[in-house]
Amino acid sequence: MKIAGTHSLPVPQQRAYEVLQDPVILARCMPGCDRLEKVGEDSYEMKMKMLIASISGLFDGKVRIADKTPFTSFRLIVEGTGKIGFLKGDGLLTLTPNEGGTEVRFDGDVHVGGTIASVGQRLMDTTSKMMIKRFFDKLASEVSS
Amino acid sequence: MATTTTKTETLVGKRIRRREDPRLITGTATYVDDIQLPGMNHACIVRSPHAAARIKGIDAKAALELPGVVAVFTGADTKDVGPVPCGASLPGLRVPHHYILAIDRVYFVGHPVAVVVASDRYIARDAADLIEVDYEPLPAVADPEKALAPGAPAVHPEWPDNIAFTYQQKGGDTDEAFKNAEVIVKERIVSQRLIPAAMEGRGVVADWKSGDKALTIWTSTQIPHLVRTLVALMLGVPEHHLRIIAPEVGGGFGSKLNVYAEEALMGFIAMRLAKPVKWIESRRENFTCTIHGRGHVDYLELAAKRDGTILGMKMKLIQDLGSYHQLLTPAIPTLSVLMMPGLYKFQNIHAEIVGVFTNCVPTDAYRGAGRPEATHVIERMVDILAAELKMDPAELRLLNFVDNESFPFATATGLTYDSGDYAAPLKKALDIVEYHHLREQQKEARAAGRLFGIGMSTYGEICAMGPSPATPAGGWESATVKIEPTGTVTVMTGVSPHGQGEETTFAQIAADELGVPIDDIVVQHGDTAIVQYGIGTFGSRATAVGGTALYFALQDLKKKIKLFGAMLLQSEDVTFADGVCTCNKSGKTVTLQQIAGASYRAMTLPTNTEPGMVATRFWEPPNFTFPFGAHIAVTEVDRETGDIEIKRYVAVDDCGNIINPLIVAGQIHGGVAQGLGQALFERAVYDDDGQLVSGEFMDYAVPRAHMMPWIETEHTITPSPVNPLGVKGVGEAGTIGASPAIVNSVVDALSPLGVRHIDMPMIPETIWNLIRKGAHA
Amino acid sequence: MITHNFDYKRPATLQEALGLLSDGSSKVLAGGMSLIPLMKLRLAAPECLVDIGRIADLNYIREENGAIHLGATVTHYQLENSPLLRSKCPLLSETAAHIGDPMVRNRGTLGGSVAHADPASDYPASLLALEADVVIAGASGDRTVTFADFIVETFTTVLEPGEIVREIVVPVEHSSAGYCYEKVVQPASGFAIVGIALRIRKEAGRIAEAHIGVTGLASKAFRAVAAEQALMNGSADPAAAKNAGALIADGVDANSDLYASPEYRNHLARIHGARAIAIALSRAQ
Repeated sequence: MKIAGTHSLPVPQQRAYEVLQDPVILARCMPGCDRLEKVGEDSYEMKMKMLIASISGLFDGKVRIADKTPFTSFRLIVEGTGKIGFLKGDGLLTLTPNEGGTEVRFDGDVHVGGTIASVGQRLMDTTSKMMIKRFFDKLASEVSS
Repeated sequence: MATTTTKTETLVGKRIRRREDPRLITGTATYVDDIQLPGMNHACIVRSPHAAARIKGIDAKAALELPGVVAVFTGADTKDVGPVPCGASLPGLRVPHHYILAIDRVYFVGHPVAVVVASDRYIARDAADLIEVDYEPLPAVADPEKALAPGAPAVHPEWPDNIAFTYQQKGGDTDEAFKNAEVIVKERIVSQRLIPAAMEGRGVVADWKSGDKALTIWTSTQIPHLVRTLVALMLGVPEHHLRIIAPEVGGGFGSKLNVYAEEALMGFIAMRLAKPVKWIESRRENFTCTIHGRGHVDYLELAAKRDGTILGMKMKLIQDLGSYHQLLTPAIPTLSVLMMPGLYKFQNIHAEIVGVFTNCVPTDAYRGAGRPEATHVIERMVDILAAELKMDPAELRLLNFVDNESFPFATATGLTYDSGDYAAPLKKALDIVEYHHLREQQKEARAAGRLFGIGMSTYGEICAMGPSPATPAGGWESATVKIEPTGTVTVMTGVSPHGQGEETTFAQIAADELGVPIDDIVVQHGDTAIVQYGIGTFGSRATAVGGTALYFALQDLKKKIKLFGAMLLQSEDVTFADGVCTCNKSGKTVTLQQIAGASYRAMTLPTNTEPGMVATRFWEPPNFTFPFGAHIAVTEVDRETGDIEIKRYVAVDDCGNIINPLIVAGQIHGGVAQGLGQALFERAVYDDDGQLVSGEFMDYAVPRAHMMPWIETEHTITPSPVNPLGVKGVGEAGTIGASPAIVNSVVDALSPLGVRHIDMPMIPETIWNLIRKGAHA
Repeated sequence: MITHNFDYKRPATLQEALGLLSDGSSKVLAGGMSLIPLMKLRLAAPECLVDIGRIADLNYIREENGAIHLGATVTHYQLENSPLLRSKCPLLSETAAHIGDPMVRNRGTLGGSVAHADPASDYPASLLALEADVVIAGASGDRTVTFADFIVETFTTVLEPGEIVREIVVPVEHSSAGYCYEKVVQPASGFAIVGIALRIRKEAGRIAEAHIGVTGLASKAFRAVAAEQALMNGSADPAAAKNAGALIADGVDANSDLYASPEYRNHLARIHGARAIAIALSRAQ
């Protein structure tokens, strides 16, 4: 599934670039992220608890940052595996200055497998967008506080 | 005990209510899941969430520690069982070894990897979640045309081109036909992947009696005897020590015309643990692991004269096989090729099949099995030709039909059509809809800007599978009729009804032949320990082949009845009718009950006659039968939304003689529903990673009652000369006729916008996009 | 399709239910039309279900002080067939009639549906158009929120752990008002690809009041404000319907699934919006 969108962060571009790669901040902002541990350069392991309404699932995940072009773009690769399925997101984040803040555009691919892929088709699009929105909303409030 | 009375009313041809139904609708039937055995374990299968992956390890420790878990088996334990058999043989066919549990690699989402056995099904399910399988995901390919592209991931590494087989069929001289053509029309037509979705999923119970060395397997199948032979081979159990029981089977539509890994796997577990075990498929498993149907991409060319005479046809058929061959997987597209000329007399065909592996569950027989695909393409191509020639599609069909004088008619594909009057159902259907008036109405509607369509299909199908040399496993069928000492009658048939109603229709046949009330007859099937070997129920064969075996067994028995009657009446000149033997001279009578009693008591016997009143026949059909018919759909498309309304649906079918019009109507209704489902809503969707995203009824739309139009059913009757009952078969007709009729109708509705073809399913958004494009053209 | 293990409790009173929910590990079970399938797919695994289905004083439809009060466990079937609703809030009856199939309507409840907050469920469109209130019961007493505030996002409401939807309050409709619930059904799930609920009041041939709720289209149901404003004070004619309908999907980031892309969904919203407005206008006196 292709996924793309634009969100704003109320900080300058360099700061936005840094917070988007800051494991402490990422851990606080990724929906359901329980723990994020550095296992190498730009490489992290993660425990996630997805909670949407009655739906809940634990995921063991990996986060990787690649193709860094400070302070304009980088790739964020997130993988998670759990009993209800697995997901892999691979997206390019592009940062441009925008009215004192930064506009972050992401273009990516989300691959989902297992039960969530085969029974959640109707809601995949809506929930992916919601999760990403939650992430950026939380991030915006983190960086502005 | 004397229940036998005489009857005079003929039952064949009457609308008799199905005798099966009371137990089905009162919940008193016995399905596999109703089988309860003392000490029975329950199995839950761990399946791959990946379409392609290497298995690096399986850790069952946590599962085995869960109280109630009895055992966990993986491919390493079961590698000597099997393989899951492919019954089809084609020259050069590549057959991957189909282990019952994956060894070191998985090939589709749902591929069985391990099995947990526990004391109840809930523990088994919980334990399945505790098994850790370490997968290394690999690239997958789910689309057959993408699988053929250079550089595509190889489904089976040993065959990097993903081609399982190619197959050519030629008849006549196609090159010459296309050289002489005045017009050639071409189209790419897709018959999408479908999920059979029987109401009851699969289920297996296995019970090993170690003292008897006897294994009994209850399985929801259409072919108990073939399952017995093949599972015996898979497990290495002597066939006479294996009993297969198909109890009540809640629908199959071809998806249970198969031998599945789970049937052998449960046998293996029962034997290994010396305890009965049950596995009941979940709906998710049914969608991802039971065979799918269709999955064609066809490239077609039709050559014709300007006057409409069709000269020849070329077809390249790309069949999505999935990752393995199930029982008949590669054979299904060959049926499409056999039927590609449809009801038309042209004699030049060239077909090429490319069977392609994909990382999907295998395709196999689904209601119609190859014939709906064939009918869909020829009926679409004839409409495309009619549009090209600006001819009326009915006229074009009438011009090209096989003539009535030509039967038996030899087709370019090597078949012999048994009997037919192909114009008759079309003319009848045209009369019912008042075709000329309807076309006038259409002109008015179009003038008013409405999108109003009239579509027809005239289908032929190949049924009553079939002469044994033309089938993978024998095409004959068997029947035994026993008249018990008290005069009641037991019919044992080798077919395996799972919704078709043979407990009623076969009883009608037997009641008429023996002159006894229908309540005196019981029809038994589906238990290999009770019923003589048989082939099973599929391919619209049960009545035409199994009913005929029954008919001949009844004739044998009637001869014996007359011998005993003559003996008891002390006369050579006796008649047997209405359940009574009458001396034509004295007028004295003996009843069937008296005769049956005498045959078992055997105080005296007629000369050269054995005691008892039992006859068994195995009947080999000399040919297939070829039912046909015409369906007309009248549709209107909402110009703003693309919604399709079926305003009228007329089905005129010719299935030869009709035993029970009520059951025939039911078969047509159900068949049309499935054809309509394919035309309008249904599609199994795998994403590029091989995930089945239409994996539940939440996203896979089978037609509901409120989506169905009123179906007007009518018949013409052209008896088949192939069998003495004159019957042809009707189980798949509705499905075969429906999809092209509906698609042709919607294409006709959109034809003012320049639309020539629409692929299925014609979901409203597809139609809306065509309307938008057409409006801007 | 086997759930995880769970406990099951069936309190007789609301107070008892609130007590059982206080530890946070339990989930409320009403009709079970969404929760049970999720549990069978193991997508949901609550430790305990608190079945509120037998709490007698949660099942009522009554008129009080100019409003209609609907207990949380009234079924879709009850709403569809209630004489009171049919005469005094017909939009809600019409909406209930579009839900699922007879089996779902017989078991599924109003409270369960709104608490689940499926973005493609039917009620949100009507409850927004009706400007309904939601009464939430909690350990510290009741609180009331507007339905618009109740729904936060896809599958997300303002319900805190331990809280239960007690009742929904809708206004008594003016007998001259026009209404309509128009739905495009996803053929597999029966949920709304788009659902549009409308209330319109005419005065002297002009539109005096217009409320439009839209479900299925976006990540949560919303009021089609631009369309409402276009209708207000305008003339009650077909052209008005068309013009306002065209505004229904304005600025909407639409959902997609196997049966409808975002672009087609928005288109359907506009077309069916105009149709719904025309029907509501024809019903208004």
